[in-house]
Amino acid sequence: MAERVFITGMGMITAIGDDVAGNLRSLRSQQSGLGFTSHLDTIYKTILPVAEVKYTTQQLSEMAGVAGIDGYTRTTLLGLIAMREALAQAGITDVQQEPTGFINASTVGGMCDTENVYFDIVDPEKTGDFLKFIDTLDCADCTQRIADTVGITEHIATISTACSSSANALMYGARLIRAGLTRRVICGGTEALTRFTLNGFNSLKNIDKRPCRPFDQQRNGLNLGEGAAYMVLESESLVRENNSKVIAELSGYANTNEAFHPTSPSPEGDGAFAAMRDALAMSGRTIADVQYVNVHGTATLSNDVSEGKALQRLFGTTVPPFSSTKPFTGHTLAAAGAIEAIYSVLAIQNELVFPNLNFTEGMEELYITPETQLKEGYPVHHVISNSFGFGGNNASLMISKYEG
Amino acid sequence: MAAISPQHTFEGDLSVQPMVISSGNMLSCVEPDYKAFIPGNSLRRMSRILKIGLTTALRCLQDSGIETPGAIVTGTGKGSLQDTEKFIKEILDYKETALNPTPFIQSTYNAVNGLIALQQKCTQYNNTFVHRGFSFENALLDSMLLLHEGKENVLAGAFEEITAEHFYIKSRVGQWKSEDISNDTLYQHFSPGTISGEGAAFFVLGPEATANTYAELAGLKMLYKPSQEKLAASLQTFLQSHEEIDMVLTGRNADINYDRYYQVVDQQLSGIPQLPFKHLCGEYDTAGAFALWLGAQLLKTQQLPLQWFPMQHQTPAKLRNILIYNNFFGEQHVFMLLKGI
Amino acid sequence: MEELKQKLKEQIIEALNLQDTRPEDIKDDAPLFGEGLGLDSIDSLELMVLLERSYHIKVEDPREGRKILQSVQSMAEFIKSKQPA
Repeated sequence: MAERVFITGMGMITAIGDDVAGNLRSLRSQQSGLGFTSHLDTIYKTILPVAEVKYTTQQLSEMAGVAGIDGYTRTTLLGLIAMREALAQAGITDVQQEPTGFINASTVGGMCDTENVYFDIVDPEKTGDFLKFIDTLDCADCTQRIADTVGITEHIATISTACSSSANALMYGARLIRAGLTRRVICGGTEALTRFTLNGFNSLKNIDKRPCRPFDQQRNGLNLGEGAAYMVLESESLVRENNSKVIAELSGYANTNEAFHPTSPSPEGDGAFAAMRDALAMSGRTIADVQYVNVHGTATLSNDVSEGKALQRLFGTTVPPFSSTKPFTGHTLAAAGAIEAIYSVLAIQNELVFPNLNFTEGMEELYITPETQLKEGYPVHHVISNSFGFGGNNASLMISKYEG
Repeated sequence: MAAISPQHTFEGDLSVQPMVISSGNMLSCVEPDYKAFIPGNSLRRMSRILKIGLTTALRCLQDSGIETPGAIVTGTGKGSLQDTEKFIKEILDYKETALNPTPFIQSTYNAVNGLIALQQKCTQYNNTFVHRGFSFENALLDSMLLLHEGKENVLAGAFEEITAEHFYIKSRVGQWKSEDISNDTLYQHFSPGTISGEGAAFFVLGPEATANTYAELAGLKMLYKPSQEKLAASLQTFLQSHEEIDMVLTGRNADINYDRYYQVVDQQLSGIPQLPFKHLCGEYDTAGAFALWLGAQLLKTQQLPLQWFPMQHQTPAKLRNILIYNNFFGEQHVFMLLKGI
Repeated sequence: MEELKQKLKEQIIEALNLQDTRPEDIKDDAPLFGEGLGLDSIDSLELMVLLERSYHIKVEDPREGRKILQSVQSMAEFIKSKQPA
């Protein structure tokens, strides 16, 4: 019998909060993080809203405790801040006391900084300070920088499956634990805003000029965001041995593929349906046990139809309250899965269902509508958290209240 | 399994394929005719590494006789460099307006995985690892977990390309030799840096050997930035549970900066024949996949393509157990143990 | 108009890398998407880029784009309507 996998620590930073508590405060007070960028150099500065972390890269390096040290990109710094909080919350002062793995997720690595010096790097006429960014071009750089800074030397990996990356990182970590290869692994993802991704999504014509409206008939695309989030996952035996405080259980997960189109999901949500169904089955629960679904809900035309259809197929006429928290945080790509997994835990811990902001009109394709009010005092025991991405990559996580 | 590499590895009998020799310290793939594998309408948009990766995966599935695998797991350190470079440039040239989405879509690291799934209608587990010298190895580990969890088979692989621009970028941090050498003379140039390469290799992995099986992957160990002492100790532990090693496939690449790690293996396994492979494929994040392909090939055929290995005069009398040791610029170290069937 | 349509056909073939297609293979009113040339949604985005780069016409709404990009004929008519007479 494979071991159960528990969440014993969480850390995060997003546009709506510098830590988990700050995020909860903003979710409760319905404060969106969307606005215009002050750090990104782009012609869309005052046109396309984004959910930016309100600190300069310099300020972030101070918050991360590495001010004055070279080579930390914004991606790395966001990750490091979230990592430190996750370790602290799990009561880990020395990661070497128990072999600890680190499974990170990133979509464009240190692009946030390299894109500003790229043409100097490729110009033989130029030389100087920018050469230190050569190693930050790939996705492994942020992972290794974070690992090296906090002293992690065991199992290290970086996953990149577009918008489902950090959900897959959590899944891979949980599977390493269940296979008995490690007893503790820290999983999640980090993402900084870049001109590269902003223009990328804009070239696909799926960025909304207004704050995004998931599951709304008038929705017109997503808004990008930045942030990082990590969860400390531990095996049941380690938790018992150390008498650790369990925050929640990662009770199920599934990864499926649409095999439909490079950037669009299937119209009937086949992959999303299968991912949710399989995650639920793995947890040994039924649809009646799920009190909340934190949907992917990007507010693109195709995602919301596909995901909505999948919800209707799985739950029939008893779809539980669901909402997209992307109007708060923007779409944080590689970090989204882990950020929303933490929100799912917060829903359980605080008996809350978060509202889906900016919703006014139901979609013609669906008979369901998202939760629009903050629901308080609402017992939540099991949450499904969805993350779907390019390449048809779907991931669903089932997060459950710890009941011994 | 299947491989596209700077050598003639894609089809036919290896024993009659000459070694491809090139100078300039940058080895590029011998590319097949993609039309035999990918419909023209899909092919027209694809950039080079997408074609290389997808075609290798499809050829691998053909070789295994499996059309739709139970999962697709890959590793790539850099993904499609060509598309990334193109999109960065277009953002500048067109001042962030009127941009074609194709290079952006194809620059995402999981683009190749998505294409394989799409073409083979594989709706099951799909994952992409992007961690330098651990990219392919994590894909292998993930695959082994999947088999352990009950999957019938997994398509696992790696793909990597080098572009002129990226070659230049990495030359600025001294990854390549400053003298221009020919790949067949790599080991005679013991100096800072090595030669760059690229390639794709895919494998169908299953829980049991069949008549078509090439080899058994009996062990896999990744070590992150180990000291030489830790490397030596880990090698001892790794080998303890296994029988005698007949040959070491070594990632040695004539780079004086990191040769000390290969010397650790020399000391630990003195007297065991070593066969280097980087003169054939060059150095890149997922060169470990080339080594696995080569090792499995040797175990199946019990024959070295001697024309590829001028340093070796004969095939060892028996090839049962092959140890692969590789490291990527001293940071990610990997042991793999391959056994003949 | 004929000249514009001929040019558009050449530009479409080049932009979308339709290697086995010649301009004369594309009928003026044949649908570009689905059954016709077998183009997809990414091609439609690329054709909007073509309109923007070569004709300085920006199509914001993808739904509007679909109407304009029905055929070479509809594209040419749209371009004409946007140009000063």
